Amino acid sequence: MGNIDAIQVDRLTKRYGSLVAVNGISFSVNRGEIFAFLGPNGAGKTTTVEMLECLRKPTSGKALVLGLDIAKDKMAIKKRTGVLPQDFYTYERLTVKETIQYYAGVFDSHPDVDGLMKLVDLEDKKNVLFKHLSGGLKQRLGIAVALVNDPELIFLDEPSAGLDPKARHGVWHLIDGLHKQGKTVFLTTHYMEEAEVLADRVGIIHNGSIVAMDAPQKLISEYGKRNLLILKKTSHQAVTNIEKLGVKANYDQTAGDVIVHLNHAVGVSEVLHSLSSANVPFGELQLRRSSLEDVFLNLTGETLGEEDDTL
Amino acid sequence: MSHVVIDLKASLKSFLRNKSTIFWTIAFPCVLILMFGAIFSQSSAKYDLHIQNQDLSDGTASYWSKTLFDILNSTNAFNIQTVDSSINATDYAISNRLSSVLIIPAGFNDSANMALFTGGAVKANVTFVFDQSTSSAPIVRSIVMSIVENLNFELSKGKRYLNVNDMTIAPKRYGYIDFFLPGMIGMTAMTTSIFTSVSISAQFKQNGIFHKLATTPLKRYEWILSRTVYNVLITFLGMVVVIILGMTVFNMKITVDAISLFMVAMASLMFTGLGMIIARFVKDPDGADAAANVITFPMMFLSGSFFPLSQMPLFLQGIAQVLPLTYVNEGLRASMIFGQSQMAIVNTAIITVLGLVCIIVGSWITKWEED
Repeated sequence: MGNIDAIQVDRLTKRYGSLVAVNGISFSVNRGEIFAFLGPNGAGKTTTVEMLECLRKPTSGKALVLGLDIAKDKMAIKKRTGVLPQDFYTYERLTVKETIQYYAGVFDSHPDVDGLMKLVDLEDKKNVLFKHLSGGLKQRLGIAVALVNDPELIFLDEPSAGLDPKARHGVWHLIDGLHKQGKTVFLTTHYMEEAEVLADRVGIIHNGSIVAMDAPQKLISEYGKRNLLILKKTSHQAVTNIEKLGVKANYDQTAGDVIVHLNHAVGVSEVLHSLSSANVPFGELQLRRSSLEDVFLNLTGETLGEEDDTL
Repeated sequence: MSHVVIDLKASLKSFLRNKSTIFWTIAFPCVLILMFGAIFSQSSAKYDLHIQNQDLSDGTASYWSKTLFDILNSTNAFNIQTVDSSINATDYAISNRLSSVLIIPAGFNDSANMALFTGGAVKANVTFVFDQSTSSAPIVRSIVMSIVENLNFELSKGKRYLNVNDMTIAPKRYGYIDFFLPGMIGMTAMTTSIFTSVSISAQFKQNGIFHKLATTPLKRYEWILSRTVYNVLITFLGMVVVIILGMTVFNMKITVDAISLFMVAMASLMFTGLGMIIARFVKDPDGADAAANVITFPMMFLSGSFFPLSQMPLFLQGIAQVLPLTYVNEGLRASMIFGQSQMAIVNTAIITVLGLVCIIVGSWITKWEED
């Protein structure tokens, strides 16, 4: 059992009439890793995760979750996985503690309820009704609920969507903690930072197809732009000096900035050394790192869309 | 089954923590009953008591008959009106729809004296003619009885010299409250079950609770069973409160037997299923409430909850025949008030069949998971 992948997906497809929501995707998730499905809203992330959670029937294709067939072994999969749906919601008038006890009862499990509340830092809210919790606390309770059956695999669908930065980092910390416990986590997100910070591997999904899949840093170095060094308020003469190093540089006339496209051979120190040697003055420095956003842009020609301005 | 109990406990806890639901389920029917009961029943603090004194000589009341009359009058509990001694008091009560008449017969004075003389071996009788279906008659009767007992005690220190014979007016006549109270139970079964069922389904769908439940081992039929039992329990709770109110405030004689309980449970089942069917076609909780109102409001007024069907135009009576609440109301009246067991059984059978059809269809079309 131990060497079976947590998830194996083979040409999974979901069609709604003429609309193809998920288009023959294949991938696998290793045990113990955090795998992130990154894509804009409507890319097919939630449809995929809901097929894996046995909530939607695939039009075609096959998927095994913990070695179990999603078409045949629904109940066994439900018993061994934990799910945090998008915007977790439950009985409004049950308290935090009662909510965990309710789901424990439904799973016929006997978790350490106090321990779960401690894990998600809700001990002092244990007698607060669900409807009085903030968005971030609701999501944390949702994670505790997803753990009542001590699952081997946890699905987290947009776990931090709509949360403020502080609450979001709290949720990330929790997910990281699950990873350290050896749980397999499958998360969907449209926040590139979330995928970059948390995931061991990222699958980038666009229009129902996976366009790239690898560790975040590998994706960035393969598909991202080069890192950019921006020299604010610097003379265009600098461009000539820098290009002698064998890297591309542009002069932005409007802003009066020089933009240097760094590569593996030429880094920030080489550029600055060259300018100092030639006595070319330069202004304030800005370094722009390439990110999964750039990867997505390069691969699809589109942005991730609803980028969050609170990040 | 343990999953059903777990979900039921969660639902009941939620109910007890929701003041507005408690109000609409329990207090609202009580307010309606008190309001309508007060409007259509006797509402004065004083009760009408008609007295016919036949014990006259030359038009003058005898000593003991006058004494009794004066004592009754001095209590200030009654608006006493006299009935001419020459007419038949019972016929008079029926034709004038009087709820109670006290008849002091001729020879009452002599009988009272004999009672005193013989130490109670001979009794002096008066007759209390009353319509037991009216809300006021039992109250008037109990006041009259206590006054007579008091007088007996004063005269004899315990022995019974004066005696009140009961005489009910036939045929039995029922008051508005007798009609209205079973209608309120039917209405409570309908509103509780339909509104709870529709709004819970719509809320659970919109908030994603169905979605979450679908990822757990809780089965759909377990959840539906829990919700159905919940609706039946809440309806029973409403029923108990309404019945206690009817018995204490309006002195009603209400029969709660296995048939009436079964009928209320089946009615709740039927309306729970109907609610689930409605919920399938609404998008959000606001739409759910509107849809539930569209169904329950006409049914409330056209199924004879508030007014007898016979008072409605013929075409509305025709509509009433296809409304399920009509059979609940008719059945409950037959079993709880009128003691018409055959009619109760027929209506129970109709409700049971409709209940099973509604809950099966409702369960079948209620979806947790998307296609």
